[in-house]
Amino acid sequence: MPMQRGSLVGACVFAVLAIAGAFLGSYPTYLLNLAMINVIAALGLNLLTGNAGQISLCHSSFMAIGAYCTALLTARLGMPFWIAIPAGASAAAGLGALLGLPAIRLKGIYLALATLGFLQIVQILVEEFAGVTGGVRGMSVPKPAFYAGLRVAQYPLYLVVVACCAFAVWTAGNILSSRVGRELNAVRLSPHAAQALGVSVARVKLVAFSLSAAYAGLAGGLLANVVGFIDPTEFGVSASLRQITFIVVGGMGSVAGSVIGATVLSGLPEVLRPVKEYSDIIYTAILLGFLLFLPHGLVTVGERLRMGVIGTRQGSE
Amino acid sequence: MTGTLAFQLAIAGVSVGSIYALVALAIVIPFKASGVLNFGQGEVVTAGAYLALVLTTLALPYPLVVVVVFVLGALGGVLIERVLIRPIVSAPEFTIVIATFAIGLLIKGAISLRFGDSPVSIDGPFGMVPIEFANLRVNPTSAWILVCTAAVTLAIIAFFKYTRMGKAMRAVSINAEAAQLMGIRVSSVYRWAWGISTAIGAFAGLLVAPVIGINPEIGSLILRGLVAAVIGGFTSVTGAVIGGLAVGLIETYSGVLIGSAVKNLVPFLLLLLLLVFRPYGLFGAAEIKRV
Repeated sequence: MPMQRGSLVGACVFAVLAIAGAFLGSYPTYLLNLAMINVIAALGLNLLTGNAGQISLCHSSFMAIGAYCTALLTARLGMPFWIAIPAGASAAAGLGALLGLPAIRLKGIYLALATLGFLQIVQILVEEFAGVTGGVRGMSVPKPAFYAGLRVAQYPLYLVVVACCAFAVWTAGNILSSRVGRELNAVRLSPHAAQALGVSVARVKLVAFSLSAAYAGLAGGLLANVVGFIDPTEFGVSASLRQITFIVVGGMGSVAGSVIGATVLSGLPEVLRPVKEYSDIIYTAILLGFLLFLPHGLVTVGERLRMGVIGTRQGSE
Repeated sequence: MTGTLAFQLAIAGVSVGSIYALVALAIVIPFKASGVLNFGQGEVVTAGAYLALVLTTLALPYPLVVVVVFVLGALGGVLIERVLIRPIVSAPEFTIVIATFAIGLLIKGAISLRFGDSPVSIDGPFGMVPIEFANLRVNPTSAWILVCTAAVTLAIIAFFKYTRMGKAMRAVSINAEAAQLMGIRVSSVYRWAWGISTAIGAFAGLLVAPVIGINPEIGSLILRGLVAAVIGGFTSVTGAVIGGLAVGLIETYSGVLIGSAVKNLVPFLLLLLLLVFRPYGLFGAAEIKRV
C-alpha cells in the first residue's frame, strides 16, 4: 500500500515539475535541473552505500566519466545528446563493474582507500590528457541537439532532465522492491547469512557498483549538457563527500531519503548566499551533525516524533 | 643516468619521502590503537603549517616554535578525540570514515576563512643555500627534515618499546577488552594515541612549509601518506616510515625517467595493486578482526 501511495505522490510531483518548468525563468530552471541531477546521483550512491553497505569515495568519478564521455561524443563525433547521454551512463556502468572487480574483495577502510585511489587516478587522467579533455582548464560542451542543426531549447532540455529523474526514481524504487534490492540489503546486513542462503555476495556487490556508477554517469551526462562546461574540480573528493552528505542527511538506504537529502541540500547554497564564505563549513557541520546525532537521516524524523509521542505517553502513565 | 644524478635523485626522493613517512606515522598510530583511520590527518598538517606561520610572524625563536607546534598539535588531537571521535568510536565504519573526513574539511574551511586561499611562503630555519659536497647539492631544509623524521621515528619506536603508555597502547591494539580487564585505561590510551598523532602531523606541517609553501591545499599530502601506510601494512611503525620513503623515491625516479603524468599516477596504481594483492601491506601482520 505505502509503495503505491509513494508512486502516486512521485508521479504528481514530477507532473507538476514538468508543467511548472514552462513558466519559470532561466535561473530557477537551472537550479531545478541541478537539484534533479543531484537526486539522480544520490539515488545511485544510496543503492551502493545505503543498501549494499559499501563505502564509496569515488561516486563523483563516475559522474566525471559520464560527463566527459557524453561531452566528447557530442563535441568530437557530433552525436546527438539522446545517444551520448546513455552512452556516457553505459561507460560509467562498465567502469563501475571494472572497479567492482577489485573492490568486492575489500571492505571498510580498505574499500574507502581503494575508491579514494580510483578517484585520484580518474582526476589525474583527466588533468594530464589535456589534449582530449581540456585538462584543468576544462572543456565546453556543445549545446544539445536532436540532430545536427536542431538545437534543444531550455525547456525541452529541462523536460529531459525531469524525465530522467523520474525514470531514476522509478527504477530505484523498483530495484529495491525486487529480488535485487533484497539481495543488496542482505549483503549489507549480513554477508555471511546472505551467502549461506545462496546469494552470491560477490555478484551482488558487482551489480551494486555497476548500477550506482550508471546513475552517476547519467547524472554526469545531464550535468555536462545543462551547464555546458565541465572541469575536473567539479568531480573531486569534495563532490563525492557532498553526495555522501545527500544520503546521510536524507536517509541511508531509502529512495525517499535520496530525493529529500539531495533536494534540501541543493537548495542550501541559495539560502546560505548571504553568508557565502561560511557555506563550506556549514555544509560540513551539517554532515557531521547528522552523523553524530541523526544517523538515519531526515526520513526517520517523522517516525521518531511519533515514537517520541507514544513513548512520553507511556512514560506518564 | 649518471651515478651523480641517480644519487642526487635519491636525496630528493628521501627528503620528500620523509614527509610522507611522518604523515603515514601520524595515520598509523591512532589506527593501531583504536582502529580509527583519520582521513582528516592531512588538514592537521595544514594546521601545523599555518601555526608555524603565525608563530614565525610573532618572531619567536625556532626551537620555541617547534615546541609550541608540538604542544598545540597534541592538544588539538586530544580535543578532537574527546569531543568528536569518542562518541562514534563504536559506530559503523562508514560513519567513522566520513566523520574524520568531515573533521578535516572543517579545519580546512576554518583555515581558508581565516587566512584566505593564496599561498604564503616561509623561510626554513637554516636558509635555502644548498650545501655542496662531492658534486652533490643538499638543501639544508631537506637535510633538517630527514634528521627530524629519523628522530621522531626513533622516539616513537622507543615509546612503544619502553614506556608504560607505549606498552599499554600495544596491548589495546591487540585486544582492547583484555587490556581493559588487565587494568589499562583504554580511553586514556586513545587520548594519547590521538595526541601523539596530531602532534606529529602538525610537526610535519611545520617542516614541510618552507619546502612547498603554505596554502589550504597542503592537506592533500595525506593521499601519499595513506599509500605509504598501506605499503607499510597500517600497523607497523617502521613499515610506515619505509613506505613513506619508498613512495618518495618511486615518485622522484618515475618522474625523471618516465614523465610527470606517470609520477602522479604511480602512487595510486600502487595503492590499488597493493590493496588487491597484499591488503595488509609488505610489513603488516595478518588481518586484525575487530568485531
